This record gives sequence, structure tokens and C-alpha cells, in this order.
Amino acid sequence: MAAETRREAVSDASSATRLLPDQLSVHVGLVVSILLMASPLLLAIVMSTQTVPEIYDIGDITPGSDGLTNYVSVLTTYDMLTYMVNSLVMSVVVTVGKIAVSLLAAVALVFYDFRFKNGVFFLILFTLMFPVPVRIVPLYELMATLGWSNTLLALTGPYLASATAVFLLRQHFMSIPESLVEAAKVDGVGPLEFLWRVLVPMSRGMITGLGVITFIYSWNQYLWPLIVVSDQNKQVVQVGMKYLQSVGNAGQTDWGLIMAGAVLTLLPPLAVLIAFRNPLLETFGLAE
Amino acid sequence: MSAHETAFDSSLGAYLLLLPTLAAIGAFLYYPSLQTLRLSVYKTFLFGQNTRFVGLENFTSLLTSNTYLASVGLTFAFAALVVVSTLAVGLLVAFLLYEVTDGKAAYLIAAIWPYALPTAVAGTVLLFLAHPSVGIYTFYLESWFGVEVDWFTVGWQAFLVVAIAAVWKQVGYNVIFMLAALNNVPESLNEACELDGVGTWRRLLRVYVPLMSPTLVFLVVINTIYAFFGSFALIDLMTQGGPTNATNLLIYQLYRDAFQFNNLGLASAESVILFLIVGGLTYVQLRVSDRYAHY
Repeated sequence: MAAETRREAVSDASSATRLLPDQLSVHVGLVVSILLMASPLLLAIVMSTQTVPEIYDIGDITPGSDGLTNYVSVLTTYDMLTYMVNSLVMSVVVTVGKIAVSLLAAVALVFYDFRFKNGVFFLILFTLMFPVPVRIVPLYELMATLGWSNTLLALTGPYLASATAVFLLRQHFMSIPESLVEAAKVDGVGPLEFLWRVLVPMSRGMITGLGVITFIYSWNQYLWPLIVVSDQNKQVVQVGMKYLQSVGNAGQTDWGLIMAGAVLTLLPPLAVLIAFRNPLLETFGLAE
Repeated sequence: MSAHETAFDSSLGAYLLLLPTLAAIGAFLYYPSLQTLRLSVYKTFLFGQNTRFVGLENFTSLLTSNTYLASVGLTFAFAALVVVSTLAVGLLVAFLLYEVTDGKAAYLIAAIWPYALPTAVAGTVLLFLAHPSVGIYTFYLESWFGVEVDWFTVGWQAFLVVAIAAVWKQVGYNVIFMLAALNNVPESLNEACELDGVGTWRRLLRVYVPLMSPTLVFLVVINTIYAFFGSFALIDLMTQGGPTNATNLLIYQLYRDAFQFNNLGLASAESVILFLIVGGLTYVQLRVSDRYAHY
């Protein structure tokens, strides 16, 4: 019996070493690839503390003598604070609006039986084939006709309907236990009350995940704001970074300032990603 | 019929709930898309004030323009490079994450954070770090390897730098989906591999990759669309299509024709061509996956 236990122990050990490649090399591989992916960001953070002469001393990758000066001046003198507020308003409105609109649509698609239901669902899904570049000229003209250019309406309206959000919420609602639906039916609960009292609390993880995806997506938009907003005070932060490129003295671009702007632009979506990583990963099918 | 579908029985109620979505997709998706189709057979003057029907002239002039055809070829090459590199890097990182036993959660967040990276930030940061005269990467590449880095004038270098920025931004998203697919591989398969003495890399390529194929096909489609459309900010911030059109991707050409040269009819024809290319590619990729993917 002792011999058998020992044989098992031996085979366990050998299976562990053969199945998993050497854990040490896995760790080394991970650290190297993570450092490679993080290095531009880490360098940008270091450079954001440097003065112009320090930037132009190229081999110098030590923290500069400017401290947070670049951050302060980029936020105030160069209006990045305004751009960030504009981006925040746009992203929050798109996130809340898209989820609200999609929740209503998903309720109709799951808990009702009506004519052309499949057709309507297909019509919503098929919009995946029309990203902004496919309709950019008429969309721009439409905004001009409506008088929406340079407004929050133009920045948010075109993003409100979402095939992905409707699809994911529909999938999720279909997995709600029948007994709950039956109970709501017996109690004579209306659709909006059912949504608010039953579906939303039961879908908190999915809604949070969708919210994170939508927030990051809207915060990172570039092409559409570039076109539809020409008034600098109304511009979002992604395009605001483009304005920074022309800042500098005597032909020397102030890259430290630009890097400070880039780091600030990355911070909100990165913070959201880290804070809500669990619901986000769950929504992507990666449960922890 | 299930309890779900009969929870509420009012067609009117259903359509009221759908109204915001249907109104939004009608106004901002279907209407402009159809308008694109209409505008593509017109020539516009004075910023759309005057239009003249020209039939397929916009299309024939695009398809006989060497600049446009070069841009088509360039965009396909760019998409191929970005898609293949993103999948390769993503697979490697996802596999390492799958295999690691300690510190998995910390590694995971450190590997996928570029999902939050704005394309414009990726472009701005690399524009500086790889800058031909003040970039730190350029400095070390030149002093360690003796290569001459000057992507402001050398076309293929500019192409490569933009592609690297695109891959950097796109890897995080790919890793998330690949890891989710890897986690679905049945444990018994690992045991079978172990019994047969299958090596690590063979296991990745011969066992996992085929099992992950539905996810990989999905990622090929997503990455292709990203390469065609999402890379606009990179071009606009890093190269403006240059040097001498070496990074003049279709989306950038479209932007210039529409909003710098006010050639709205021509730009709409370019939108239609982009739609056909991306739609066609998506269709082919899904068909191929139907035949070869293991579900």
C-alpha cells in the first residue's frame, strides 16, 4: 500500500512537470510581455515630468525636474480640463442612454410575442454592418440640417442604439427562470415595473459590464467628434490631444506637456477598467 | 410557447418599448446609410449646395485612379499585418496566462489593460517615443543595432510604426476572448495530452488552437474591422497618410476627400466601397469558419 501511494505521488509530480511547462519560464514570459506592453506608457509617464531641454537630451530617461508642472499647465493653460469634462459628459450620457434604450428593446424582444419580431431583431442586428465611416457624410449633413453641430446631441445621438447591447441583454433575459416570469404574470406586474424590480437587479453584473464597455468605447471616440465639433471649447479630449501637438517654443515641441495630456486621457478609462474588472470580464465570458 | 414570450401580450406595448431603438437606428443608421448609397451617384459642388447625377462615374474614377488602388492594396496589407500579429501576440500571452498557477489575477489585469487604451493615446505616445529625432526608442534602436530609423521619410517604416501602434491597442481585447476560450477546453484533454506526452507548443497549436477556432474567427473579423476603420486616429495623429501616401489607408483617403476637399459624392462612393470590402471579408471569414472551425 505504501508502495502504491509512492507510485501515485511520483506520477503526480511527473505529470505536473510535463503538463505545465516549467512555471519559471511561464513567469518570465509573462513578465517580459507585460513589460513590453507597458513600457511605452511607463516611459510616457517619466517623460511627462521633463522640461523641454530634458526631453531633447534624448538618452535621459530619469524623472525630470518639472514634477507635476506639465499636468497643471496642460489642464489649465491648454484647456485639457475642459476637454476632459466634455468627454466625461459625452461618455456618461452615451452609457446611460444606450443601456436604458437597449433594456427597453430587450424586454420587448424577450417578454412579448408580436408580429415581425424576428424581422425587428434582424433589423437591429444588421446595423453592425454600418460603422460610422460607412455613413459619415450623410450623418454629418444630417447634424448640420438639424442644427446639432457642436452640440452634445451630435456627440451622443448617433451612439444611442446598439446591436451589441440589445443582443447581450436579450441573451441574458432569456436565461431568467420561467418561475419568476410566471410569478410576475400572476401578480399582474407591468413591464416597466418588472424591468425595474426584477430584471435590473438580476442583471446587475451584465449591466455593469456593458456600462464599462460603453464608457471606454465612447471615451475613446476620435473620428466623429473631430468632424462634428469644430468649436474648440466643445471638443472631446481625444481630439484635444491633437491640438497639443502644435504647442512649443522656437520649433521645439513640448513633448513633456503632450505626454502629460496623453496620460491624463488614458486615466479615466483605465481606472474604470481596473475598478470594474470583474463584471467586465464576466460579460466577456471570462468568469473569475 | 414559453412563459417568457407571453409574459405581456400587447403588440402596441412591445413596439412602444422598441420605439427609442427603432427611431435611433432609423435616423442615425439606416437613413444615413441609404443616403450614402444615393450620394455616391452624384457629384457635389459648393459643399453639397449643388448636385448633379453622374451615375457610376464616382466609382469608375476611383477604380481607375492609381492613388485609390494603391490605397486599397495598402489597406489590405495593413489589415493582414495587424490581424496576424495581434492574433500571434494575443495567443502567446493568453496561453501564458492560462498556464500560470500563481498570481493569475494580477497578471491578467496587467496584460489586458490596453483594452482601455484610446487609439489616439497609443498614436500620440508612439509618435513621441519612436520620433525620428527625439524618440527614445529610435535612439536605442540606432545606437544598439545601427539601423537608420527615419519613418517621417521612409514609407515602410511609417507603415510598420502605425501597425505596431494598432497591435498594441488591440492585443488586450484579443487576450480576454482567447483566455475565455482556453478556459472552456475540457480538463480531460489536458490529461490526454499528458498521457501521450504532447509537448507544450504542439499542445497549443494542435489541440487548443483548433478548439478555439470559433473565437479566433470572431477575432479575425473584429481585428479586420479595427484595422480598416479604427486606425484612423493613428494615421491622423502620426503620419497624415504620408510619407508620399505610404500610410494612406482607405479610411484616411475617405476623410480627406469628404472633409478637406469637400468631394461628398466621391467620398460617399468610397464609403460604399469600404462597406462592400468589409462586408465581403466578413462573409468570407464566416463561410471559411463554417467549413473549418470546430464547434
